[in-house]
Amino acid sequence: MSKNLKIKIIVLLLFSLISIIFVYNDHFLYKTSILKVTEVKNETKKSTMFRETYYNQIIKGIIKNGKYKGQEVTVENIVAKTGVYGEIVRKGNELLVETSKDGTEIIEISGVKRDKYLVILFVLFIDSLILVAGKKGFKTLISFIVNIGISALAIFIFQKKFNTLNLLSLYMGVSILFIVLSLFITNKRDRKTASAIISAIVSLFISFGLSFLLIKLYGKDISIWTMEYIEAVYEYENFFYVTILLCGLGAIMDIAITISSSLNELIEKDPNITKAALIKSGREISKDIVGTMINVMLYACYTPIVPLVFIAIKNDMSLTNALSLYGEVDLVAVFTSSISIVLAIPISLYVAVLILKPSKKEVLG
Amino acid sequence: MITILSIVLLVLLLLVGRSRGFKTFITFYLSIFLIMLYLLLMKAGLNPIILAIVICMLAALSILFIINGINIKTKTSFISIMIVLIFIFTLIFIIVKRGNIQGFSVESIETIGGYSYDIGVDMIDVMIGMYLICIIGTVIDTSISISSAMNEVLENNQHLDSKELFKSGMNVGRDIMATTINTLYFAIVSNFIGFFLWHRGSSFEFIINYKAFAQEVIQLLISFIGSIMIIPLTAYISSKTLKSKKILYFLKNKN
Repeated sequence: MSKNLKIKIIVLLLFSLISIIFVYNDHFLYKTSILKVTEVKNETKKSTMFRETYYNQIIKGIIKNGKYKGQEVTVENIVAKTGVYGEIVRKGNELLVETSKDGTEIIEISGVKRDKYLVILFVLFIDSLILVAGKKGFKTLISFIVNIGISALAIFIFQKKFNTLNLLSLYMGVSILFIVLSLFITNKRDRKTASAIISAIVSLFISFGLSFLLIKLYGKDISIWTMEYIEAVYEYENFFYVTILLCGLGAIMDIAITISSSLNELIEKDPNITKAALIKSGREISKDIVGTMINVMLYACYTPIVPLVFIAIKNDMSLTNALSLYGEVDLVAVFTSSISIVLAIPISLYVAVLILKPSKKEVLG
Repeated sequence: MITILSIVLLVLLLLVGRSRGFKTFITFYLSIFLIMLYLLLMKAGLNPIILAIVICMLAALSILFIINGINIKTKTSFISIMIVLIFIFTLIFIIVKRGNIQGFSVESIETIGGYSYDIGVDMIDVMIGMYLICIIGTVIDTSISISSAMNEVLENNQHLDSKELFKSGMNVGRDIMATTINTLYFAIVSNFIGFFLWHRGSSFEFIINYKAFAQEVIQLLISFIGSIMIIPLTAYISSKTLKSKKILYFLKNKN
């Protein structure tokens, strides 16, 4: 083991330990009261009214923060036995609760403290990223954080200007911002990156235009109203289009930068390489990544419908009906992003050849 | 609608990727079929977790062996995929169980309100199964890309030892990793906009502990971890098996 690697591991280990210890003891940061559950008694009951078996839980616990720190309280919780909805409380859980004015009673359990699990996973992600990919991993991490920043900014703007802005035009602007910033931050500021940015923007708008057209022509009966959170927006259709626009954006950016940097490398190795040869090797390179990306898209976007569809078919809905009701929007998004992935290849190739290998006349002039 | 999109996708794949594109299309539909099979068998009463593991194995078997053929590359990939699957399973099991990640939040109450909650299985198991299937696509593809690339490298440079081979496998893996992370981020985050619009005005501490938020973030992070972990594993196992295959081949020819 080299000395460098040892230092890296020690730093990562320290960072991980500190983050995890911190998040396990961050109660003092919370305004909401947190109840540490010390005892749970479950009573199983069959409800006639709600058609299901449920637990009547009697929960004892100690408040961990705020004015009533250290106070012991008891609270009742009713929850479906299968855990479809609500929280099945277990001993050791930490609950976010709303207390009465004097702190002796609990009015409502508003949630479970889950921040620690997210932090554990995030720490694991960073550790594995740095250990496996080193410098490149660090770059990926930075581009990841930049992307989160832009997403947060877009959401912030929209939350503020909610009534005056058109959702779709806002996100078209935002996606250009994503492309330019994230490619410029993670790559050298040169011709190669410029070519990738132009390719990505052109691919995005051509493929989005195609999807838009196809949906306008044939997609009148898509069950947009079953989309999650649809009630939060006024512009139902635009909300759907924004999902489609963003879903394939990352993939388009990746194809653009992969193609332009590999073509750039080929030109640097052999400045006299012909355009036809460039296009041919570009195609070979992209063939390898297309399959991967489409599969990633499918599993990541389509599998999350499983719990909802499962509940529906358990309630005697047929699988076809349940899938077209709750899965159609996601499947359309998978398809349109896959189409953008495939379209991005010839577009990126063409743009890259045009920018990186200007014809002889231009060079002379 | 789906039929038209399928046709457009198939035509584009054939134009851009030729026979490779056709393979991708078959894999795509095979995967959709497997997800449907999962739902049907789960309805029939099979345990969601065991079933998910079987479906993941089926996905790996079919994508690797049917599409890429039975050979040392695909066998190596299969072993590495199974190791990652076991690790991720342990991780998800602990996190979902302890963090109450199962089930739905308030915003879905209108959708699920009409259904009976007596579905005969614990939602925790359904959730764990879903996460396992979510990551399998990424893991399979990263793995097979690495082992194929390493095989090619070895074929062109027979003199490489297993250490150098491991290094080149890691290099290929890192390139794939960077693109996978970007792709996954946008694919999953496109669902987040609605969430934040719904909860505008909510405090940070509310959102970070919220169930629906945790569900999506966990999916994102688990997929990241899976697609990163598979890289050194595949590279390491391939560097050993590919090299030993060459040695065996060499010995055979000598006699």
